[in-house]
Amino acid sequence: MDMAIVFKEVGFTYQAGTPFATPALHDVNFTIPEHSFTAVIGHTGSGKSTMVQQLDGLILPTTGSIEMAGTTITADTKKKQLNQMRRHVGMVFQFPESQLFEQSVLADVKFGPKNYGLSDAEAINAAKAALELVHIAPDLYDASPFDLSGGQMRRVAIAGVLAMEPEVLILDEPTAGLDPVGQNELMQLFADLHQARNMTVVLITHQMEYVGQYADNVLVFDGGTVVKTGTPEEIFADSQWLRDHQLDVPAATQFADALEAKGMPIEPALDLDQLADEIAPLIGGGAHE
Amino acid sequence: MNNLILGRYLPGDSWVHRLDARTKFILSMLFIFVIFLANNVYGYLLAAVFVMISILMTGLGFKVFFDGLKPLAMLMLITTFLQLFFIDTGQVLAQWWIFTVTTDGVVNSIIVFVRFMLIIMFTTILTLTTPPLEVADAMEALMQPLRKIGVPVAELALMVSIALRFVPTLMDEAQTIMNAQRARGVAFNEGGLIKRAKSYVPLLIPLFVNAIKRAIELGDAMEARGYRDGEQRTKFRALKFTQRDTVAAVAFVIFTVALFATRYI
Repeated sequence: MDMAIVFKEVGFTYQAGTPFATPALHDVNFTIPEHSFTAVIGHTGSGKSTMVQQLDGLILPTTGSIEMAGTTITADTKKKQLNQMRRHVGMVFQFPESQLFEQSVLADVKFGPKNYGLSDAEAINAAKAALELVHIAPDLYDASPFDLSGGQMRRVAIAGVLAMEPEVLILDEPTAGLDPVGQNELMQLFADLHQARNMTVVLITHQMEYVGQYADNVLVFDGGTVVKTGTPEEIFADSQWLRDHQLDVPAATQFADALEAKGMPIEPALDLDQLADEIAPLIGGGAHE
Repeated sequence: MNNLILGRYLPGDSWVHRLDARTKFILSMLFIFVIFLANNVYGYLLAAVFVMISILMTGLGFKVFFDGLKPLAMLMLITTFLQLFFIDTGQVLAQWWIFTVTTDGVVNSIIVFVRFMLIIMFTTILTLTTPPLEVADAMEALMQPLRKIGVPVAELALMVSIALRFVPTLMDEAQTIMNAQRARGVAFNEGGLIKRAKSYVPLLIPLFVNAIKRAIELGDAMEARGYRDGEQRTKFRALKFTQRDTVAAVAFVIFTVALFATRYI
């Protein structure tokens, strides 16, 4: 099935038709190619989170249409159809640990697959596989999810989404509030899933380092619409434009830009490894690992 | 979940918005009693005009007030029908099984309906033009005399304020958790009664867990900043009577006297 996601002239207004009507999105047009790792960036209130809820059919567009997983979603789409589509989409919300509710870790993780019609045995297998992916040790399977540490709870909640074996994985600031080691582990996990399982990953983030390091496609939101799309190289080439939209470039890119301004023959870099590879020969060192 | 008009504040800067919350609170309560002075068509006409003028002065338009009636429509209809069927004095108009519709019944049910509608619309003025926290402050101020008999008025008011403060937070959180569980394949509001009730377990457990966690954190934060109960404390939002409140009170007294006078027309 074609898992590309196409937004056509999508608009959305919260509480449309009431005195509280608040327009959140307008004229949104973009395509997220199948198997891509797409980063969505934009400052707070630019419409990112609203767009992401539409990706999973949690809210319907007020105008326009969304095509994904062989379904076209418009303002009149029926609930039954949405359920069908959601099976293909895994959605990790901000602070996903607040969705934990079962008595044991394993029971919570198998909740999703069971809802989508798997037998208990199949669901347990899927849950165990997902827990292994997020590095939760088997001796924690029977623990109450509320007794875990914050980082563990986050990983169990993410396992709850992965257990449904989605083809599209949507991540809304998945690393917020974790320590740096936990953040990097989690991002590495998503990168591996993208590689090994050929998942389409959509990542909302404020951390430009991750965009430079992992993404191959970037959507920039501002004022409720997409203002720019392209590869990270294209997006980060114009740091002034990004700053005008209250965004920034990764630290490595900033550093490379600064060196270039000083007259060093250096190409724009997207992450630390790339930057190191470029600098090493300039200062007479060998290739770095 | 955002359709709850009853008890929802609509910001504005009208004359009524700027009235002291205590004035609005007392007048709303008094209206419930005063309306019973009306005993003929002139009285209800006068009361209706008074309510209409009050609504016009809020600058919010009639529509929101009629919307506010909807959640209570069932209650109003049931009360009206009870009046219609169970009053058996007056001329009999229709009869069926144990039900008898009489002229007195018809008149009474119309009166009850109109009275109900006026009371709801008038008290809605309070909730639509006053932020919930100000209503809580007004209640605290009006309950002050109860301190003398040992009622912990300040603590009760604090509890009400905190509860009100967290209503929108919890609603947002409920929405987020609902979305997360929906993404995991929960179908809310589908299937039979038991299935429906069961589908709310994954919503309610995290909601309670988070609410309790939040309450503990709030308690710690308050203690860390030196909160102790039973202290006389000043307020950031001080309530102040102004000339406006005098005008409103006088207008209400005139209305009451006029309503009393309609009894003798």
